[in-house]
Amino acid sequence: MSATVSGIRHVRGFDVVKPLSIVTMIVIMLPLVLLPLASIFIFGTSNGLGSFWNALMQPEAIFALKLSIVTSFWATIFNVIFGLFASYVLSRYNFWGRNALIVLISLPTAIPTAVAGFALLLLWGPYGTLGRLLEPQGVHIMFTAWSIILANIFVTFPLAFGVIKPVFDTMSRSLEEASATMGATRWQTFWHVTLPSLRGAIVSGALLTFARAVGEFGSTILVSGNLASRTQTAPLYIFAKFNEGQVEAANAIAIVLALFSFVIFSILFFARDWLEGD
Amino acid sequence: MADVNDDNSAAVSVLNVGKQFGAATVLRDVSFNVAQDEIVVLLGASGSGKTTILRIIAGLELPNDGRIILHGKDVTNLPARERGTGVIFQNYALFPKMNVEENIAYGLKLRRKKRKEIRETVDRLVELVHLGEHRKKSPSQLSGGQQQRVAIARALAYEPEVLLFDEPFGALDAQIRGILRREIRGLLKQIKVPSIFITHDQEEALELGDRIAVLNSGKLEQIGTPFEVYNRPETEYVATFLGAANLLGGVMSGGKFTANDVSLETDDMTQFRDGEKVKLVFRPEDVFLRRPENLTQRYQKLTEGRIEEVSFVGAFERVTVNVDLPDKPTIIVTRPKTETAVFPLHHGQEVTVGLVRFRIIPETANNGTA
Repeated sequence: MSATVSGIRHVRGFDVVKPLSIVTMIVIMLPLVLLPLASIFIFGTSNGLGSFWNALMQPEAIFALKLSIVTSFWATIFNVIFGLFASYVLSRYNFWGRNALIVLISLPTAIPTAVAGFALLLLWGPYGTLGRLLEPQGVHIMFTAWSIILANIFVTFPLAFGVIKPVFDTMSRSLEEASATMGATRWQTFWHVTLPSLRGAIVSGALLTFARAVGEFGSTILVSGNLASRTQTAPLYIFAKFNEGQVEAANAIAIVLALFSFVIFSILFFARDWLEGD
Repeated sequence: MADVNDDNSAAVSVLNVGKQFGAATVLRDVSFNVAQDEIVVLLGASGSGKTTILRIIAGLELPNDGRIILHGKDVTNLPARERGTGVIFQNYALFPKMNVEENIAYGLKLRRKKRKEIRETVDRLVELVHLGEHRKKSPSQLSGGQQQRVAIARALAYEPEVLLFDEPFGALDAQIRGILRREIRGLLKQIKVPSIFITHDQEEALELGDRIAVLNSGKLEQIGTPFEVYNRPETEYVATFLGAANLLGGVMSGGKFTANDVSLETDDMTQFRDGEKVKLVFRPEDVFLRRPENLTQRYQKLTEGRIEEVSFVGAFERVTVNVDLPDKPTIIVTRPKTETAVFPLHHGQEVTVGLVRFRIIPETANNGTA
C-alpha cells in the first residue's frame, strides 16, 4: 500500500536514485557471484548436452555423487536427531555450564574445515589417540566412508541445532502443560504436541545440514584419502579431474552440485511458509 | 475461615496448602472447598499466589505443605496427567497443528476411547460451544473468544474433575469480555462442573463467582458470596481491593464503635474486646448526606462534615467530604442522580453524614506480613 503511494508521488519528480542503486547492485554482483555461476553452465553445455551427459555418466563420477549423497545423508540423520535432543536438554533444563555447552556445540562452524579434518586425523588416524587402539582390532575409520561421515558430522554439527533450538525456546510451555493435564505422558506430549510444532525447523535444519555436507571439501580431502571410486566425494572429484586437466568432467559434476544447491535453497526460501505454517 | 462446607459435598478441597519458591513464601496455609456445581473465583493482585494455587491443583506445581482432594481422592502426590483436571490457560494453549476437532478429541485419544465414542463426544461438544461451522479450522483461524470455547470443550471432553481457568479473559477486548463472561457462566451452570477462576479483576470476580476467595500475599483473606465479600469485608485488604471503601480509625467501647464524640451501634461485633482499636469501613454508596439535623432514623449518624468537592462522573456524583473527626479525614461519597436532583450540594456546604451500612474490622486487619 505505502509502496504504491510513494511510487505515485515519485512520478512527478522522477527519483533517479532508485534505478541507479538497483543497477549498481547488480553490476557489483555480476563478476563476483552471477558470472562465475553462469560460466559453469555456459562452459558445461558448450559442447552440447550429449558430452555433458557422457561426462556425468562416468562410473567414477556416479560413484562420487552417490558417496557424497550417502555420507551426507547419514551425517544429516545424526545431526538432526542430536540437534533435537540437545535443543530439548538445553532449552528445558537449566544447569551449571549450560551456556558453555551451547558455545561448544556451535564452535565447529567457526573452525576452518582443514583444521577440522586434521583434528579428526589426529584422533582416528592409524597413529591417533583412538585410532591406535582400534587399528589392531581391524577397525579402520580414516580413509573409509566412515571418515567422510565423521568429517561431515563435525563441520555441520551446529546447523540443525541452530535452527531447532530457537523454536524450542519460543515454544509456549503451556502447550506441553496442557497436554500433561489432559492425560499425556512425556513421550506422548513430545510426539503429539512438541514434535509437530518443530516440523518446519527439523526440515529446514536437515536441508541446511545436507546441503552443507554434500559440498564439504576441506576436511574430507584430509580424512578420506581421495581414492577414486572408493573414498572420492563429488567435490573431491571436481578437484581431482581439474588437476588432471579434464575440465569437462569436473564441470559436469559442478553443474549437478550447483543445481542441487539451487533446489535446496529454493525450498528453504519459498517453502518457508509451508514449513512453518499450521 | 468462613468456609464450612463439609468434605462430602466438596468436589475440590484445598487443605492447608503452603508453597515456597526458594526463600520466598508464595502461599501460606490456604484452605477452601468447591462444591460440585459451584464457581469459585480466586481474586488477588499479581504476586498474590493465585496462579500458584491453580497450578498446584492441576499438578503442575507441588505444594510444600497441605493436600489437594478431588472428589474425595487425595491427589497431592499424583502427577498432572493422572489428576484429570481441565485447565484453560490464559493463552488457551490450543495445539496449533491440530484443528478444532482434533484438539477436542486429544484427551479422549489419550484415554484410548473407541473411535465412535470420540466422534459422538466431539459432535456433542462442538455443538455445545457453538463451533459447528469451525470444526475443521486450525486454532490460528479462530478469534480469541472462539479459541477459548475450544479450550473449554477440549477440557470437557474427558469429563474433568474440575475446570481451572487461568485469567481466561485477560487477552480479550474489554467489550467482548463481559459478553464472554456471562456466556461462560451460563455454560458452566448448564454442565455443572466445579470451576475455579483466577483473576485480578474485581468486576469479573463479582459477576462470575458463586463465591469469591480474596488472596493477599499468599494468604486467603476471606471467602464468601460476592454479596458477603463486598458488603461484609473482614479485613482492610478485602474492603479496599474489592471496590472503593472509606476507612476511619476508632475504639470499641461498650459494644459501640467510638471516635471522638462519634458513637455507632452495631450488632455483629461480639468478636471485639472493649478498648480494642478497630476500623470503621463503609462504601461510598452507603453514605447519606443531609442538611444538619435532617437525618431520618433509618440511618445512623456518623458526624458532621463540610463538602470539599463535588464532581460529576457519569452515572453518579462523587463528593468528597471533610468530616469532624481527629485529623480531619476526608471521605468519598457517591450519590445517584435521584439523590442529587432532590438535594444538590456545593463546595463548603455543611452536612450531616449518615451511614446505611458499615463494617467494623480489626485495626491491624490481618493483612499478612509480606
